[in-house]
Amino acid sequence: MEFITGLYLFVIIISIYLYSLFLLLLFKNKKGLFTHNLSKEDLPTVSILIPAYNEEKTIAGTIQSVINLDYPKEKKEIIVLNDGSKDNTDKIARNFKDIKVITKLNSGKADSLNYGISIAKNEYIVVVDADCYHEKDALLKVMNCFKEDPNIEAVTVAIRVKNQETLLGKLQYVEYTIISWARKLLEFLNSVYVTPGPLSVYRKKTLERLGGFDKNNLTEDIELAWRILRNNHKIKMCLSARAYTIVPETLKQWWHQRLRWDIGGLQTFAKHKDTLGKPNYGMLGVWVAPFYLSSFILAVLGFIVWTYILGRKFITKILSYFYSISTESFILQVKELHLTPSIFTIFGVLLILTYLIYITFALKMMDPGRIPTKRKATVVLYMFFYLALYPLVFIQSLYMFFFNKSFKW
Amino acid sequence: MVVQKDVFWKAAIITAIVFILGVSLGILLESSRVKEIRDEYKTVEVEWADAKLQSSLFQVLSPKFCEASIQENLNFADKVYEEGLKIERYEDANRLSNEDSLLYEKQRYTLFKLEFWLNSINLKEKCNANYTNLVYFYLDDPSLTERPKQDTLSIILKELKQKYGQEIMLIPIPLDLDIATVNVVKTAYNISVAPTILINEKIKLEGLYSQEEIEEIIQNEQGKTN
Repeated sequence: MEFITGLYLFVIIISIYLYSLFLLLLFKNKKGLFTHNLSKEDLPTVSILIPAYNEEKTIAGTIQSVINLDYPKEKKEIIVLNDGSKDNTDKIARNFKDIKVITKLNSGKADSLNYGISIAKNEYIVVVDADCYHEKDALLKVMNCFKEDPNIEAVTVAIRVKNQETLLGKLQYVEYTIISWARKLLEFLNSVYVTPGPLSVYRKKTLERLGGFDKNNLTEDIELAWRILRNNHKIKMCLSARAYTIVPETLKQWWHQRLRWDIGGLQTFAKHKDTLGKPNYGMLGVWVAPFYLSSFILAVLGFIVWTYILGRKFITKILSYFYSISTESFILQVKELHLTPSIFTIFGVLLILTYLIYITFALKMMDPGRIPTKRKATVVLYMFFYLALYPLVFIQSLYMFFFNKSFKW
Repeated sequence: MVVQKDVFWKAAIITAIVFILGVSLGILLESSRVKEIRDEYKTVEVEWADAKLQSSLFQVLSPKFCEASIQENLNFADKVYEEGLKIERYEDANRLSNEDSLLYEKQRYTLFKLEFWLNSINLKEKCNANYTNLVYFYLDDPSLTERPKQDTLSIILKELKQKYGQEIMLIPIPLDLDIATVNVVKTAYNISVAPTILINEKIKLEGLYSQEEIEEIIQNEQGKTN
């Protein structure tokens, strides 16, 4: 057996395992995925922190969205943390009544949030990015989740895409839907490994005890979630509560964002690598960290396998083209189609079909009626082209991480 | 919030089952292909014996067997050529089997082709036939940079074969299958590079040539025969 075949089979084993795991979780918990409670009894007080840096285009919408949240006004404190914006963010924020606007020198999102936590008066801290919008009942659903288990230290929501006009927006719509879906399934393993910025709620005491957000991490929301899990606490995902975010509309912006996510992920893993395989760190040690590591390995190995296969084909095609021209016999030949399935084909088809079923099911459940009738082409593009970009970004992030290349926001 | 840890081992069992089933299916497919090639070899063996017998018959009985014999030789050539392509295709798809699982078959087909070449030379002489023997020496396992060169020449030769039909006996012979007769041929014709074309056992073309260049030589050869 060739080395590349062995490598491929290894990637296949990990992929089948992850697919099986997610499908098992899905079928086991199908009925309880969207359960929520809209009770207004015994609601705790919340401090909503909106860190903002040059967000003049979106800050007004976000503040209005937070004001509109269906939550008792007297139990809601809204604080905009203007992190030294150079645009009109501060001015726009100050047009709103009944909110606090703190203007400070630029020190980064994590530091701004830590400052916000220190001045927040209420029991719970709600973090909201300055370019996000929420369904009215989102906070109510989230706060009711905390009542389920006193050991739940953070709750996050389904992040959806607001701007879906461009192809990239549509592709990210599929991606965010799948991510929300997968995150919900991971909740059943107490393995929600990120509490994303668009809307996540934490117990203030826990944040204070854990030391707040890590200023040195590019993805402070991932790192904090890992620290919560590391301390054997729980994070819940409220799939029926929704926050809408503005996603990158150009490939350049997208690449930059993903690079930050990947480097941040690597920083987080490096910081918590001591938990790997250790049951005393709960699910972080036995599942989240190994899962993260296996994702890295899959990305790198997948990249190697595909680069090898496609690279060989590319070199052969280019040389054939060159030789055809040099012999003045430029012959374009369509190869005869022979169905000769190999082990690659068997597992490849199996994995593609399984993933297609998984995606279709997730999209159908999250947005009934829209999928698969309207977004078939997007799903295909997502599976075969969009996902292929992941390893490329990851390879660059590996390079930047290991060679200490600075990342500019 | 209860952690559903049971899914970990359940997923492991499913993975093991799916993986074993997939690999078993793969092995089954691959071995059935090897078996198919071996079975077809038996048929080709009979056909070859038949073709050889016809060639011998005309020598002892009557020249009227010439045409039939040439035809049989050509049919056999096509059959062996197709089998060669099939072996190549199957070999590419066989990922789990030993890399040399079809080596024996390839060697046997090469021997067939060598015999067929010899028969073509004999028929050409005895029957005063007008076809051109075009022996194409290539590598069974070329390097990444050699493969496109061979592929290009294969396409050119295929085009020529389609154009000239039975006027050309196209005989592809792999140089690197460790066959003693092939080594003798290599020495006899001083063949040191692949691809090389040998036309009517006289003209040797090393490397790549355009379709027009090869065609010109073939036409010259056929003119000489006429």
